[in-house]
Amino acid sequence: MPSALIPQTPHKDDLDNLGATWSFLEKGVDSVMLKLEEGVDMKTYMALYTAVHNFCTSQKAVGNSHGIQAHRGAHLLGEELYKLLGEYLSRHLDAVYHESKSHTEEALLAFYIREWARYTTAAKYINHLFGYLNRHWVKREIDEGKKNVFDVYTLHLVKWKDDFFMKVHGKVMDAVLNLVEKQRNGETIEQSQIKSIVDSFVSLGLDESDSSKSTLEVYRLFFEKPFIAATKVYYENESRRFVAENSVVEYMKKAEARLEEEKARVGLYLHPDISKRLTDTCLEVLVTAHSELLRDEFQVLLDNERQEDLARMYRLLSRIKDGLDPLRTKFETHVRKAGLAAVEKVAAEGESFEPKMYVDALLQVHTRYQSLVNEAFNGESEFVRSLDNACREFVNRNKICTSSSTKSPELLAKYTDSLLKKGSKAAEESELEEMLVQIMTVFKYIEDKDVFQKFYSKMLAKRLVHVSSVSDDAETSMISKLKEACGFEYTNKLQRMFQDIQISKDLNASYKDWQDKVLDDDDRKKLVDAHFQILGTGFWPLQAPSTDFLAPPEIVKTAERFQNFYFDKHNGRKLTWLWQLCKGEIKTNYIKSTKVPYTFQVSTFQMGILLLFNENDTLTYEDIQKATSLAPEILEPNLGILLKAKVLLISPEGSKPGPGTSFTLNYNFRNKKVKVNLNIQIKSEQKVESDDTHKTIEEDRKLLLQSAIVRIMKSRKKMKHVQLVQEVIQQVKSRFPPKVPDIKKNIEALMEKDYIERLDGDEIAYIA
Amino acid sequence: MSSSTLVFTSSDGVDITVDRDVAERSLLIKNMLEDLGESGEPIPIPNVNEAVLKKVIEWCTHHKNDPPSTGDDDDSRRKTTDIDEWDQKFMQVDQEMLFEIILAANYLDIKGLLDVGCKTVANMIKGKSPEEIRKTFNIQNDFTAEEEDQIRRENEWAEDR
Repeated sequence: MPSALIPQTPHKDDLDNLGATWSFLEKGVDSVMLKLEEGVDMKTYMALYTAVHNFCTSQKAVGNSHGIQAHRGAHLLGEELYKLLGEYLSRHLDAVYHESKSHTEEALLAFYIREWARYTTAAKYINHLFGYLNRHWVKREIDEGKKNVFDVYTLHLVKWKDDFFMKVHGKVMDAVLNLVEKQRNGETIEQSQIKSIVDSFVSLGLDESDSSKSTLEVYRLFFEKPFIAATKVYYENESRRFVAENSVVEYMKKAEARLEEEKARVGLYLHPDISKRLTDTCLEVLVTAHSELLRDEFQVLLDNERQEDLARMYRLLSRIKDGLDPLRTKFETHVRKAGLAAVEKVAAEGESFEPKMYVDALLQVHTRYQSLVNEAFNGESEFVRSLDNACREFVNRNKICTSSSTKSPELLAKYTDSLLKKGSKAAEESELEEMLVQIMTVFKYIEDKDVFQKFYSKMLAKRLVHVSSVSDDAETSMISKLKEACGFEYTNKLQRMFQDIQISKDLNASYKDWQDKVLDDDDRKKLVDAHFQILGTGFWPLQAPSTDFLAPPEIVKTAERFQNFYFDKHNGRKLTWLWQLCKGEIKTNYIKSTKVPYTFQVSTFQMGILLLFNENDTLTYEDIQKATSLAPEILEPNLGILLKAKVLLISPEGSKPGPGTSFTLNYNFRNKKVKVNLNIQIKSEQKVESDDTHKTIEEDRKLLLQSAIVRIMKSRKKMKHVQLVQEVIQQVKSRFPPKVPDIKKNIEALMEKDYIERLDGDEIAYIA
Repeated sequence: MSSSTLVFTSSDGVDITVDRDVAERSLLIKNMLEDLGESGEPIPIPNVNEAVLKKVIEWCTHHKNDPPSTGDDDDSRRKTTDIDEWDQKFMQVDQEMLFEIILAANYLDIKGLLDVGCKTVANMIKGKSPEEIRKTFNIQNDFTAEEEDQIRRENEWAEDR
């Protein structure tokens, strides 16, 4: 260290001499500022610090400062040094400014960064060298609330800002923005330069009231603002050009890439503070400004099922305010149309289509758009809602439902029946379960859930009575799904039906035991092997037979025996024989053409007819009617079936069963199978059944409405008419969408029955 | 923490070896070492003589493991006049030495030592009448009777009664 550089600490006697102290300090500060790379030795460092200390603590200096002594307590010195240092910095920065004039663009940035680095390093040194001034004079000034006095380091920053920065920031920013534009145009730039500029701008944000804190004001005003403005202009121009020359799909790719790029830019060399504003600006210019264009393309993309592009559009528009709402409406309409079109295709088949075709058509549309919502629209709940709305529309109101909205639940129930009935094609259990889940998907959208319930319970009853369920597990699984969707009440009856069948199994077992004990040999010989099902009247959707029937004596005996057994067990119960649901097998011993006798599977009615031929080979229509008591509308179709199968032959030949005809047993009966099923459901019966179901639905709805009204009134006691109607709708809509006139009609009906009464002012009261 | 040693040169030209972590109790020394790095050359302490410098080093050695003071609890500590036992004993020096230590602590920017020094002086004043204080610190009363009266009236509110 060349000792010649080391100035001597001013002599103690010179302490009163400000000039001597400052000229010593100035030399030191100057070498720190300009020649720091040459190093400072400890002696110099200590000498400079000591000079400041000694000046500030000198007694004589008191006389030097101004006459007014407003300070509380001890007088502190240093103001002159502080002022001189500030003036020195101004001179230095002025020189820097003049030098900067010869630079532009990247050279200017390099110059700024170099000078900034040098200046701030020196500032740190000088701050330490003037440490004593900071600790005492500056601290006192700040404590007393003086503005515009800062610690020495901050003083450097303030001076930089006022004497240099304010003169060059515009030119510097121009250089920065040109550089960024180059990068946006695809050129490689030196990003670290911008980063350094950003850091410098940020450092200059000083909180006027507390210099230890910093604000981002300078950065925001002089960097962010022009940066954002330039970004806006750049992307306005670019997007306008791009849109004019490219497809919307291409534009979306471009916009997405640009947004990504700008986001990365923040991380690379900008201050995170800009992040939101920059993103907002880009979204505004790149997305909001073109949102109409994007939305117009939405339908095209939907029509062509461009999932990836739809996802991109979703991502872009989801980021701007209210960007997606118009899409949701379009989406809903689109899905509804797709659903309606699919149904129309099925309807084109005429009356003969399978329920499966219909349900599949509904499901297909739902599945397709659900996956679109999940894949492209991120499963967003609002789109899910649009999908649900659309599905509810086309499930309940479509071409096939035009006659009545109850068609959908009916078909769905029929399809479910076809799956749960023995002989359905879904072989695998898991496959069946999967299909039941799909049924529930459609079920969710059905408005007339009560209609589904009606049909379902009818068909369940049949499956149970005829023991034709594919499996108990599948039945239970379906019932529990319905219960989950609609609650205990909805499935209560279904469950009880299921239970009755289980109980009947046990009952038959104990009946067998009882028979073993009670029967004598004679009885045993004539025994008909029978199975009985006891079905609770209130739970099963079954009616007593619509016709009289004299059961054949062979069965009557068995039936009576069981009745005795049953009444013995359950005193006071009433049993009604549902002959129309009973069936049996009879063996033919009269046909000689085959070694193994044919077995006919027949309904009890058919059995009643055929067993008559044990006594006679030919019987007249009147004979049969008298012997069986069957009503003509039951008798005739059943005879028809037997004729068609050629079990019986009619005379005169070719005529229809009816009064005046007679029937002969066909001894030459032939069939490929040994077991012949004659128990075929009669067409007209099927139709009647469906009509009946619809009729009972109307009846049940009335009851449901009335019980809802009574329930509400019982708990409220008094209520406005309008309110009551609203409540009823709320309570009932999970079963079916009630019509207001129906509700009003039922309110009237309940008034007539004196359950409720009308008070003044449109109020209704409950009559206890 | 570096375990190296430094050399201080006192104002009267005596070299004293100090552990670096002890020396860094002085914020002045700490900042300087940060700025310049360690060069091995002796560090001149132009304002402190050997006797005082040794005393200061003794204090710093004892307190070398104190947590670095932060602004806030500094204040609360300064408000009490409690001095821990070791420091009390340390400060049992003649008045001139006491003032020298305070000046050195101020110069070298050793906050803890400056506090202890000032508290010691404060305790010497506490509970004394002006006359007693004058005696303690050997101060001449240069007020006239009128001036003294006026000052007393102005400061009546502060008196212990």
